[in-house]
Amino acid sequence: MSIPIVQVQNLSRRYRDVTALDGVNLSLEQDKIYGLLGRNGAGKTTLMSILTAQGFASSGDVQVFGEHPYENEKVLSRICFIRESQKYPDDFKPVHAFKAAALFYKNWDEAMALTLAEEFQLPMKRRIKKLSRGQLSAVGVIIGLASRAELTFFDEPYLGLDAVARQLFYDRLLTDYAQFPRTIVLSSHLIDEVANLLEHVIIIDKGRILIDDDAENIRGSAINVAGTGARAESFAAGRTIVHRENVGALVSLTIEGTLSPAERREAQELGLEVSPVSLQQFVIRKTLDAGAPLERASTGAAPVKTAGTPTRTGARR
Amino acid sequence: MIDDSRPIFMQIAQMIENDIVDGVLSEEAQVPSTNEFAAFHRINPATAAKGVNRLVDDGILYKKRGIGMFVATGSRAILVGRRREDFYEQFVRPLAREARKLGIDAEQLLAMMARESATDVDHAIVTEKEGAL
Amino acid sequence: MSAIVNATYPTLNRNAGHRAMGVARMQLINKWTFLGIPAVIIAGAFLFSAVIWALIPDSVEVKYSGAGQAVMWYFFGLGIQSLTLSFPFSQGLSVSRRNFFLGTVGLFTVLAAAVSALYVVLGIIEKATNGWGLQGQMFAIEWVAEKSWFIQWFFYFVLMMFLFLLGFWAATVYKRWQTTGVLVMTLSAAVLLVGAVALITLQDWWPAVGTWIVALTPLTLGALAFVLVLVLGVAAYLTLRRATP
Repeated sequence: MSIPIVQVQNLSRRYRDVTALDGVNLSLEQDKIYGLLGRNGAGKTTLMSILTAQGFASSGDVQVFGEHPYENEKVLSRICFIRESQKYPDDFKPVHAFKAAALFYKNWDEAMALTLAEEFQLPMKRRIKKLSRGQLSAVGVIIGLASRAELTFFDEPYLGLDAVARQLFYDRLLTDYAQFPRTIVLSSHLIDEVANLLEHVIIIDKGRILIDDDAENIRGSAINVAGTGARAESFAAGRTIVHRENVGALVSLTIEGTLSPAERREAQELGLEVSPVSLQQFVIRKTLDAGAPLERASTGAAPVKTAGTPTRTGARR
Repeated sequence: MIDDSRPIFMQIAQMIENDIVDGVLSEEAQVPSTNEFAAFHRINPATAAKGVNRLVDDGILYKKRGIGMFVATGSRAILVGRRREDFYEQFVRPLAREARKLGIDAEQLLAMMARESATDVDHAIVTEKEGAL
Repeated sequence: MSAIVNATYPTLNRNAGHRAMGVARMQLINKWTFLGIPAVIIAGAFLFSAVIWALIPDSVEVKYSGAGQAVMWYFFGLGIQSLTLSFPFSQGLSVSRRNFFLGTVGLFTVLAAAVSALYVVLGIIEKATNGWGLQGQMFAIEWVAEKSWFIQWFFYFVLMMFLFLLGFWAATVYKRWQTTGVLVMTLSAAVLLVGAVALITLQDWWPAVGTWIVALTPLTLGALAFVLVLVLGVAAYLTLRRATP
């Protein structure tokens, strides 16, 4: 069941003055839907580019289907990665792009591509460079879905798509995946929208992997407790605080772990408000706090806060 | 529907349990497939499968090879039994706590409960009207 | 670990060899770029020249038209264009750089061979019909047309390949190193040229160079250009090997 098809070891990518990827270790298993989540510029596209041999690593090793993907048609022919900023030949219309994709993907489903084009209301005979942002995204989404490649990457696929089209994409993705299971990587900075589709979540920030875990483990792995400062603090004592927010006398704490019914009752009796933390909130807190200690040290303001390192953190106080 | 408070597989399992307790899914009835659950709730099929399998492990559902999942005979009784155990923690305690806050004593609370039981039928109609408004 | 993975996935090498052919077919999906526009240019240039020939009084002996070159310059642009936009797209469709190169350059080689053959044939017709009955001269360029058909064909072919690969390579250099790369490339070409001129001047080789140029035949020039074409091809491929979309 859990066959690794992608293995990344100590992968780094440095540009002149930027480190886009910094010692990334990763493994993707067959037939799972992954979320590659992080802020813009976190390194998502760089990582996907290297995995598909469109880009180059500075150091480290990448294995896809057991081999290095670079100039390796055997591996490449099983991968599809239409990037968010994908360029198409100047004179191409969507119909041309689909014809081209059909040349290279042996599982290409032409009927599906045409149906999707209709559903996305994509003007098939308009030049791609004249399409709107959403229509451009639709072209990429359709190639990604209809290629049925064993390893498919979707790079911020929803850009410019309206709510209806985005929902359409998620629905088609799920039904087609159920019919033809394959490994899918959804790169996204809009997390709530894709959260429920994911089996596994990889959170990347500043070129490092912050979290690499089952979506279900993350869901409910943190909880928000809000109330008057002293009460909330004493309730959270001894727990790992991921994030702290002060609003006047009130404090909102994001703590790791779940509450037992008894603890939940205790919180209620203390007049604390307990609320779930969505995946998106969780990621925001993790990524914000990963960069926070430095900023705080330099401004010298505010009490010491918990630093969100990739592994477990201890509450400092 | 699906919320962020707990793992989704637990929510799926609970939805099926609810349907069994409410009688929407009768015993020996076929349960929707994991892919149907996934498509309907827009969730990952593996996650949906995890929720269903949890009920299979629990003996609430059983698998017919090549056909699908079915509600086991006697599962409703098991579920109702469990829920009764939880009833005190989940409903009575918070009720009592809120009553204490408002200065409602035990006797008044009991009277309220009696009144509620008596007007059960009327109540259903009232809420329906409210819903319509 | 990789042994296990390989065992689970039977190698799907079936279509790997055909992917270069796929690239050629991809370049032909829009028929205009590689076929339509060259045809229109050749036909247009010819008709335009014919109109001018008809307007010039017949007292002039030969009415030369340089319009035959037009399509050659288009091929230079085609070299640039077939890389800049098709390469990133082919990367999105998981085509290796090697197959992109083979497919694209292979397709152009066939096109150049065909257009060269067309030029030879049109040249023969031109001579046989007294310049299309208008004393025009467009395809049978004097210096070349007097040679055998094969040398004519070879001369045109190498010229077209040279222009295409020059464009293709320049575009690859741009893709890889942006403006800096193109700047360095043109500057080095200029330095080489100036250096050569300086050397010739210093060594007082000009008379020798002069006789050499006069003695050049289409065949020797073609052969020289052919060497350049090979160098350009290898350079373009090596540059492309590390280019990113």
